[in-house]
Amino acid sequence: MEAIKEAPIPAMDSLTSAMKNNIVPNQEYLLQGSVLDSAVEVLLHRLRGLCDNVDSGPETFHDHEMCFSIRSVTPQPLTLRVRRAIDYLDMPYQLRYIGQPELGDKSRPTILRNSIDVATTPTIVDFLTEMGFRMDFEYILRGYMFRKGRMKITVSKIFKMMVVGKPAPESVDPISQSYLVELSVLAPSNQDAIAEDMRVFAEQLKPLVHLEKVDYKRLTQPPL
Amino acid sequence: MQREDKQLELVLENFQSKLNEFKAQIYALIFKLEHERDNVNWTTVLDTFAVFSTQYTAIMKYLSYEKLPQLRNYSVLPLMLNPERDEDLARITENRVPALSHDIVPDFLRTKTEPEVEHKLMQVEHKAGGLQFETAQKQLAAFNKVVNHVLDLVSKAREEWEVETGARVGIGQTSSVADLHTLVSAVSMGKNLKPMVPQVSPGGMMVPPTGRPVTPSMGPNTPPMGMMPKPPPGMKTNVKAAGAPHPYR
Repeated sequence: MEAIKEAPIPAMDSLTSAMKNNIVPNQEYLLQGSVLDSAVEVLLHRLRGLCDNVDSGPETFHDHEMCFSIRSVTPQPLTLRVRRAIDYLDMPYQLRYIGQPELGDKSRPTILRNSIDVATTPTIVDFLTEMGFRMDFEYILRGYMFRKGRMKITVSKIFKMMVVGKPAPESVDPISQSYLVELSVLAPSNQDAIAEDMRVFAEQLKPLVHLEKVDYKRLTQPPL
Repeated sequence: MQREDKQLELVLENFQSKLNEFKAQIYALIFKLEHERDNVNWTTVLDTFAVFSTQYTAIMKYLSYEKLPQLRNYSVLPLMLNPERDEDLARITENRVPALSHDIVPDFLRTKTEPEVEHKLMQVEHKAGGLQFETAQKQLAAFNKVVNHVLDLVSKAREEWEVETGARVGIGQTSSVADLHTLVSAVSMGKNLKPMVPQVSPGGMMVPPTGRPVTPSMGPNTPPMGMMPKPPPGMKTNVKAAGAPHPYR
């Protein structure tokens, strides 16, 4: 008889040890900016030159994101985001938690926020609804994705859905005359060196796009 | 005499701190090369080398400063060689030199180049000395020609590049802070994306907001009237419909 195989390690234990060993990419370093529709071609051209996926050209995406929230004991509702690809219907859905963005002081080049994501099946929407989550808002993103080392750069147009649950092109409306530009890296904790690389990369996109740490607290205040 | 000793000590201390600083920078580069090999580009490496070169020049300048005692006038003599491992020595040299043995002393305390190298150098110098004046002139001219050609290429490329950047300045504004704030607050907080809360239906009936619970916290996020076009009447009925079976089922 063969030797008795070791008992499989329970999933929770391996997750805990992964967290302890600091190999779970649970933090997102983020810089945001915008570019006017008229200048987006120039930006795409420059990104094509700067980024890794030169040969294949920029990757396009067309996503639908729904933001769900649930009220619990804390005053702040818990928010989860579900994202699905409209152009690839057989792709898994993505469920994502995003924490409060930390702005940090001047010496920190990027925003830092907790981020956990997982691939799911389409039934996630029913699952969340059954749990008591309610959909807060939804939108359509359409744009281009670039890579540079560990950095991800997205240039996306945000559309409002005029008809709830209908992402058809004729029933969506762009919410501004600009594209949203995001530069992000998912990394385990305490890898602050990458933030410096992001600052250098953002510097190369000036003056076309100014990627910056957007202060979310100031956005919630109504404009005077 | 004692004053001189003190001065020497001070100089060595300064020199050592400069060297250590230099060493730390070299370590940083090696670390980067080892751990982020894929993300290093030649411009950063070049920049680092430029810094090294400056550091080196600064150190050499410091050493050649007149008022300093000439270090080359001091000699280091090995008083005793020992093949055994010397812990103190290993510690101060960070484990690079474990023992002051017969093996390494000729290399570490060398003041002249190795005989082999010296011989080669002599050969080259001899060859240079024996060169015909005309041949030398010819080679010099050819070399100058090549260098000038490269210089031409570089300056031409530079000129083109400057024209291009000059043209790019003329593009004008390419991004708008207001748009950025609109986009970010929409994506992060759903500003302008939340379905409008219907007040009164066309029939004059109150429409219960079944699509989603309306909470007081939504107040500040509701855009002021006029900022956004009012939704068409059809939209309101659709919001109501959203309360029915989920659209993504």
